[in-house]
Amino acid sequence: MTAVRSIGQLLLRFFSSFGLSVALLVLLGLLTFLGTLAQVDRGLYDVQKSYFESLFLVHYVGGIGIPLPGGNLVLGLLAVNLVVGGLWRLRNRKNVGGIVVVHIGILMLFAAGLVKLKDSDDGHTTLYEGDEKAYFQSYHVNELALLKPQADGRLEVRTLDALAFESPKSGLPVRVPIEGVPFDLEVTRYFINANVRPKGPMFNAPTPVIDGVFADPLPQDAQNERNGAAAYVDVIAKDGTRQSGLVWIYDTAPWTFTVGGETYALDLRRKRFDMPFRVKLEEFRKEDHPRTGMPRWFSSDVAVQKGATSRLVTISMNEPLREDGLVLYQASWGPSDARPGDRLFSTLAVVRNPSDQWPLYACIVIAVGLVWHFGRKLIRHLSREVART
Amino acid sequence: MHKLLCFLAATALFLGTGASAVAQDPSGAREGLPPRVQGWSKTAIETAGSLPIQDGGRVKPLSTFAKFTLLRLNGRSTAKDNEGNPLSAMEWLLDVMVDPARANQYPVFQVQDSAAVHSLGLSVANKKRRDRWSFDELRPGMPKLFEFAHDYSSIDAKVRTSVQQQVIQLAEAVDIYLGLAGFLDFARAELRPLTKGGMLADEFGTESLTFTDVVRRAGDLGDISERLQNSTDPLAREASAELGHMLRAVSELGRSSLHMAMQPPDAELNIREAWHTPGEMLMTAFNGAVLTRLEMDSLVALEQLGDSLQDDGRIDMDQADAALAAVAGATKPLAAARGETRRLDLEVTYYKLDLLTYSLVAFVLAFLVTAFSWLRPGKTALARVSFGLVTTGTLLLCAAIAIRCVIRERPPVSTLYETLLFVTATGALIGLFAEWANKKRIALAATAVLGMVGLFLANGYETLDKKDTMPSLVAVLDTNFWLATHVTTITIGYAAGMFAALLASVYLIARSFRRRAQNPELFGALARMTYGTLCFGLVFSLVGTILGGIWANDSWGRFWGWDPKENGALLICISQVAILHARMGGYLKEIGIAVASAFGGTIVAFSWFGTNLLGVGLHSYGFTSGISQALWTYYGIQWGICLLGAVALVRESRPAPAPEARSKSAFEPRTTT
Repeated sequence: MTAVRSIGQLLLRFFSSFGLSVALLVLLGLLTFLGTLAQVDRGLYDVQKSYFESLFLVHYVGGIGIPLPGGNLVLGLLAVNLVVGGLWRLRNRKNVGGIVVVHIGILMLFAAGLVKLKDSDDGHTTLYEGDEKAYFQSYHVNELALLKPQADGRLEVRTLDALAFESPKSGLPVRVPIEGVPFDLEVTRYFINANVRPKGPMFNAPTPVIDGVFADPLPQDAQNERNGAAAYVDVIAKDGTRQSGLVWIYDTAPWTFTVGGETYALDLRRKRFDMPFRVKLEEFRKEDHPRTGMPRWFSSDVAVQKGATSRLVTISMNEPLREDGLVLYQASWGPSDARPGDRLFSTLAVVRNPSDQWPLYACIVIAVGLVWHFGRKLIRHLSREVART
Repeated sequence: MHKLLCFLAATALFLGTGASAVAQDPSGAREGLPPRVQGWSKTAIETAGSLPIQDGGRVKPLSTFAKFTLLRLNGRSTAKDNEGNPLSAMEWLLDVMVDPARANQYPVFQVQDSAAVHSLGLSVANKKRRDRWSFDELRPGMPKLFEFAHDYSSIDAKVRTSVQQQVIQLAEAVDIYLGLAGFLDFARAELRPLTKGGMLADEFGTESLTFTDVVRRAGDLGDISERLQNSTDPLAREASAELGHMLRAVSELGRSSLHMAMQPPDAELNIREAWHTPGEMLMTAFNGAVLTRLEMDSLVALEQLGDSLQDDGRIDMDQADAALAAVAGATKPLAAARGETRRLDLEVTYYKLDLLTYSLVAFVLAFLVTAFSWLRPGKTALARVSFGLVTTGTLLLCAAIAIRCVIRERPPVSTLYETLLFVTATGALIGLFAEWANKKRIALAATAVLGMVGLFLANGYETLDKKDTMPSLVAVLDTNFWLATHVTTITIGYAAGMFAALLASVYLIARSFRRRAQNPELFGALARMTYGTLCFGLVFSLVGTILGGIWANDSWGRFWGWDPKENGALLICISQVAILHARMGGYLKEIGIAVASAFGGTIVAFSWFGTNLLGVGLHSYGFTSGISQALWTYYGIQWGICLLGAVALVRESRPAPAPEARSKSAFEPRTTT
């Protein structure tokens, strides 16, 4: 029992120690610095995943790999250290009220980050004037969508997150059973970035040619949004017969096939998320600073339709729309080479983040704590200095 | 860039055709010019300098336009004429506009490496490697300049050679110059006289037409053309062709005047409409709109200004003065009606007062006096003078920042240049406060150094950037609320971090010469000030960084994106928090904290400027080319100072030659935080 208690105390002492705080802060600083430099070659998205949203990583310097703890591990340990050392251990100390408040604020930030990481979606919805949509799509994540036309003209949609076959543990091909249809899908080849082009007579295609075209693999772009994925997919009917198709993220139409007399369509696309309302772009407006191509402001007048009701809202830079747990931001517009009178589109970034406003509250708490603590110290210091001089 | 250089190439061809022969006649450029006997009158310079012009998305005084245009070409905001006489930016611009043949001889094109000019096939025998060239000297290489610039622009900027980059920059500078030199071509060029007694002369009622005459009669041109085309008179065909020639010539002249928009549109017509150039006014008239009286007055006045250049190469200064006054009379009321001249005079005054230079002088003097006062410790008068000079420098700097805020109706920081001013001012205020609290003249000297270095860097940045330091902002930055909260707060954090690094550096340098026990009072005071500044900095860095996240959340939809600029701010917070925790844990003592704080200066510098050099992320909006060298110099100095601290630590760990009194360190951990 005593041994258990002493181990518990040892752990408590370890997790509440200043030594751990300093070590973790130095590690976090190092990770932040290396992750910043790595973005030059690897791009933001890749670095974000491998440096800051990971448990471990290997950073290469001149070809030599240096193992490091990832951002999630360091921040997780820091949170524990903050709770044990920054709150629990300080509970009986005097003159630490400000510090405790600051630590609570930092914990609120950590909590906001955790919720954002684990329970949020982000993407965009791009609308031409007059268009309306009730979904937004991811910038980065792809999905396979199996579409089946219904008698009433609507589409029955089944989706499969591309993460299932982007980096499978046992390698490709990956067989995907789908409920409710008389066939399975098998992803036989998958490319993060590829160009689909026609097979000419003067060269050999590095991948299978289907309907005269093939997927030409390209190097992965550091800017993940630019990567156009392509997949070779086999449709395997219950009797074992196979149909092979090639789907590409930039396809203008899905691949259609027939099994058991029913027609289906398969589409590789950016992952879509339903919105609890429809948005219709009524008008996109922008104004440049005079005699320059620099935008002074741009905004979208959108109709937000919920059921039978509709209301007009203006979304502009720094002034997003918060509606039903979603936040819609004015992100960009196009076409960039539009002439006066051309039909313009507006891209609205859409985020579902339950912790959307938590950083604001945390900021207020931290500011109060810092002013409280350091203000008290400053007053005490000044009165000492005055006494000294 | 590619489109721009296509345009440049077209301009070169245009130049080659001699279409703007008045401004760039290759044969007579050097010969027949009388020596300059009379400069521009004070009235002319002041009147011209206060004229409004719309440039870079805002209305500014012509003097500001002249200053930054010359800075871009010449690398400094003054010039020298062909005889070596100094010229202000406004005098230079007036010469370029009114007397381009003379201005073509002024060496105003700064070239960093003569290899760029040599690559154009020009001799560099009489030039230094880094020198200034005149338009006339560059003229033989112009076709190659634009051809090469066009080719080089298709190369990725990251892999261009220095020579390629300079060729592109030189081509851009020459293009700007051509725009200025050709601006009054419409006023100087004489249109070919109409056939004496011909049908066209009858229609216009004169044989000698000017650009302004054509603009004035633009509404009738359609009718005249129709009449000529429908006429059965055999001479009508000839008259019609003559009209076509004349219109082409006028259009060419209008095209050469597109570089400067000095004519405000009538506020009652369209408050948001961009200002007009003479060429655009011509097109407006061709499109059937009637120009207002003031618009016509302005054109006529500009024509008079261009016409003030006499046949013998001298400028009729009386006519020029009157013409400039007339331009002011025709443009300022319209600009005022649009509410665009409210801060114009203030901007002219701001640059005329040159508060930043006086502030720099005050800081330099303050440093010298403070250094001298250390040699004469008993002289309190010197300390008072030093305090007065630092206060004066700080007040002048604050006044300059305040005037800039009023001119642009913005919070104090919206560009990288303004961060330099604001960091210097904030650092100086922190230093004065520290000096007030602890009258040891250490903070005073540090403040003087900070003021000197900060303003020197601001001046250097302006020269490197070569752009208006009060520019228009892109949509996402154009928000006074976030500029006032996040940007101001984080910049105060930068200031505190840099000042703490400076104090720590002073500590480490002093400690490398003397043991702590030899002057415990000095080291104790420095340590306390460093610690206090660090705490002050943490408040603003932390709150500023989180405010930045909240702004990003409202602009881009995410609080934190691990963008380089965000990471830089986080690094400052982490370093300051780590130092304070290491102090609390007893891992860092006085000298350790000084080393960490001095190193912290490099973290602030990385966040402030280094992250922009990476060229990635949403915050990569600041121009920082050429900053790299200064940044690495600072890194080197700070790391060297950190090494000094390590050496001092090792030295003092050995037994002292004599017993030393132990004094309590300001960095010793206490029982409470």
